[in-house]
Amino acid sequence: MISSRFKNLFRKASLDRHLDEELRSYVDMVTDEKVAAGMPVAEAHRRALAELGGIEQVKQVVRDRRLGTWAESFCRDVHYGFRQLSQHPGFALTVIVTLALAIGANTAVFSLVNALMLERLPYLHPERIGTIFRNVQGTEAYDGPHGITGEQWEQLRDNVPSLISAVSSRGVSGANLQAGTHVDYVHAGRISAHYFDVLGLHPVLGRNFTDTEDLPSGPKAVILSYALWHNIFQEDRSLVGQTIRLKGDAYVVVGVLPGAAATPLNADLYTALQPGRNGEGGGTNYEVIVRLRSGATWQQANGEINRAWRDGAQNLAKGYGPNARVSFYTVPLQRGETATLRPQVIGLMSAAALILLIACANLAGLTLVRITRRSQEMATRLALGGSRWQIQRQLWIENLLLALLGGSAGVGLAFLALRGLLELLPVGYLPVAGVHLDGMVLSFTLLISVFTSVFFGMLPALAVRRIDLRSSMGGHACSNTARHGVRQVLIGGQVALTVMLLAASGLLIRTLIHLQTLPAGFNPNGVLVAKASLDDVRYRDPATFRTLLNESIGAMKHIPGVEDAAVGLSLPYERVLNDSVTLADGKEAGHEAATDMLYATPGYFSTLQIPLLAGRAFTDADGPTAQHVVIVNEKFVRKFYHGANPLGRTVRSGPSKAVIVGVVADVQLSSGLNPVAPLQSEETVYIPAAQITQPDQLALIHTWFQPSWIVRTAKPIAGLTEQMQRALADVDPSLPFSGFYSMSDLQAQTLASQRIQVALLGTMAGLALLLSAVGIFGLVANSVALHTREIGIRIALGSSLGKAIRHVAGVGLRPAVAGLLLGLLGCAGTLRLMRSILYGVSVYDVPSLLSVVGVLGGVAILAATIPALRVARIDPARTLREE
Amino acid sequence: MNSKQVNLLQGTLDLLILKSLGAAELHGLGISRRIEQMTQGTFLVKPGSLFPALHRMEEAGWLSSFWGESENRRRAKYYRLTKAGKGQLVVETQEWKKISLAMNSALEAT
Repeated sequence: MISSRFKNLFRKASLDRHLDEELRSYVDMVTDEKVAAGMPVAEAHRRALAELGGIEQVKQVVRDRRLGTWAESFCRDVHYGFRQLSQHPGFALTVIVTLALAIGANTAVFSLVNALMLERLPYLHPERIGTIFRNVQGTEAYDGPHGITGEQWEQLRDNVPSLISAVSSRGVSGANLQAGTHVDYVHAGRISAHYFDVLGLHPVLGRNFTDTEDLPSGPKAVILSYALWHNIFQEDRSLVGQTIRLKGDAYVVVGVLPGAAATPLNADLYTALQPGRNGEGGGTNYEVIVRLRSGATWQQANGEINRAWRDGAQNLAKGYGPNARVSFYTVPLQRGETATLRPQVIGLMSAAALILLIACANLAGLTLVRITRRSQEMATRLALGGSRWQIQRQLWIENLLLALLGGSAGVGLAFLALRGLLELLPVGYLPVAGVHLDGMVLSFTLLISVFTSVFFGMLPALAVRRIDLRSSMGGHACSNTARHGVRQVLIGGQVALTVMLLAASGLLIRTLIHLQTLPAGFNPNGVLVAKASLDDVRYRDPATFRTLLNESIGAMKHIPGVEDAAVGLSLPYERVLNDSVTLADGKEAGHEAATDMLYATPGYFSTLQIPLLAGRAFTDADGPTAQHVVIVNEKFVRKFYHGANPLGRTVRSGPSKAVIVGVVADVQLSSGLNPVAPLQSEETVYIPAAQITQPDQLALIHTWFQPSWIVRTAKPIAGLTEQMQRALADVDPSLPFSGFYSMSDLQAQTLASQRIQVALLGTMAGLALLLSAVGIFGLVANSVALHTREIGIRIALGSSLGKAIRHVAGVGLRPAVAGLLLGLLGCAGTLRLMRSILYGVSVYDVPSLLSVVGVLGGVAILAATIPALRVARIDPARTLREE
Repeated sequence: MNSKQVNLLQGTLDLLILKSLGAAELHGLGISRRIEQMTQGTFLVKPGSLFPALHRMEEAGWLSSFWGESENRRRAKYYRLTKAGKGQLVVETQEWKKISLAMNSALEAT
């Protein structure tokens, strides 16, 4: 059959000739018969032809019957469609640009969805890899990732036979790696023995960690990423089995990961976590990944986990108030990794879908106009014997052509948009190796292109069914009121959607402004900071640590132009170590206060210009042997001392008792203790760096946090970073800085999510606004074109120009106003969904709603008035003459 | 035009064409005349239906065609049944007999 179709295509000419001959011979034979019956030859021939009913018509029917006809007419329609489009470049361009924008936005966002949620993780049998979520029922409900303690780890490892389990540190931390004479600041992840077994990764060289290497104080071993092995060790194959100097200590290289291996930690190198019940393992500091053993089911595993952790769950439930119930369950690793991004991405996808709807409404309106303009051509085709199906098919093919052209342009646009977006994202923001326009994304684009063409082609196609031969042939396609109505409804709908997008992005902008303009609590201008990793055996000795700080700060203070310098474990805008102190006196005695905690050198407050509200700052006299002191912030005083004067009160942190000697202002920081907003102030205890006297404590703090060197200058200094690095190198030549940042860099990092939300939703809302403006513009322009005669008559009859313009502009403004009102109603219903990502602004924020009304109103008036001004060019005399 | 002319169902036309070609190979007009004769003038097959049907049936593999010469020494395209066409004739004849029987008994039922 297929071959017959193709043969038909190629033998078309010969078939045509044969058919012609066959029919002619038929006519001749009928003529012969009639002549034989006594009819004159000419009359007989005429009658024979008449009986046949037209050679061409019969041929056409035969051709249509022949299989393969469809392909031929399809090619013809495509060809004709291209010609139509090139004859109306303005229309074609508007449609293609509209489609490109809408499809581009959708493709870009979908590629994110694809990378985060759909693409299989790059591991062996990813469907068998998971992580564990905690579900809390009760007043403080929670459902999400669950960090575990050393005790829970042992229970999971030993009592859950359905799973191969592994734990890792939370994220990576900075570490110093010495290669030859050079020391590099690298990102190190810490993982338990079977971590790579869970992921199904096998080193290309060497092996994974053994159980012995994972025991507390086991042998020190390291596995390198392929990139690090390549970049720093030039793929030296003899490296495995040798020792390298990492964190100031000797580590044996036991393996090198394959080049393509990505892990959730994405570290440069991995050391054994050596989890235990003390220190780090005393808190919920480990992250779990699990692999289902063959033959086991996830239900089975969930049951085993809940049994293994029953005691822990009951203790945990107590912390969530009475009647709280805690349970655990496994989720696919992908879902665990993207838990926080998921709602944002889904929101974004919805916004993109709205854009597509708006674009469809516009395109339906445009094609409707076009059909109206072409009704004469179509009526002619109908009159000449074209079937309605043929005309419909022609329209569908044109729409499809447009959709595919727009779709291809959209892919290009998506590619650019995606590149821009990925540059906007901070490193490591997305828990995936990359976002690509792969086959899945491209099929999605094709699908929405076709969907769009069907969607926007539907209305006009229905309109064709109502083409009235006589009125259309007559030349005036005047019966447009119904179609106008349809267009106005479309405009109203798209304006409503635009209002919702604008309002949503307005709220996000207000949120970002609120967060960015929060009183910082310190002076961020003129400050340069740099981190270094002190996760180094040499700095477990408190005396060496003190010397390093004193001498490096001293050296930095000597840099010309530097006003002040200090070191602190963390900085404003950053996440702070969460710890607790016990209030040791007065009526609050024995109360355990969960608080942020950081060490600071004496110059910390003056360098950052954090106001001292009471008491004194740290001095050099607050040394290891002196009375231990702390400084607390206002929030701490309010929360734990209810505002009473805390100076002279004592708190206990570990074995040592410390006296509160000062109160400082609150600063904005990245929340960790009780996250309510991305930036907030939290109760904080500052301790003098010199009074950390326990090596264990120093070691633990520095495996998690890298302290910052802070320098304040009155004005920018050329070469400051080099001078800071040199000042540090003078004290310790093997201590590299990770990089240099201003405080606004840190603020931007903390607010990255918010900035991205604003950028993305803002772009979407802008697109929607643009499309709506184009829609209104098109409607009014079309109305002016169609009613030129009527307007001419009105003006001739004495209507003022202004009145005529207002009359025409009203055609576009009325649906815009209706859409605006509808959109505001829609906002009331849907914006509540955004509550969780809004800070410092309520869902029904009057200023942002007012600005939406203002912006949309302004744009609508412009879009409606500009084409309406064409009325001024109507010459009543000429219009009337043309009739 | 014959007033007794009855609308031809497509299936009926196929069967008539197959039947007309059962005995001999014919050209288009010949088929038309043969059907007229076989049905005693009840069915007049017009070229507008005949040729599309012939081409469709040829495409379906029931008929094959060749160019030959007519009684009046005119070049004409002749059709004949293929093996599949002969099979089709048997099948459709049985089918038709069943229908016809069923129709008759339906109409004679009281």
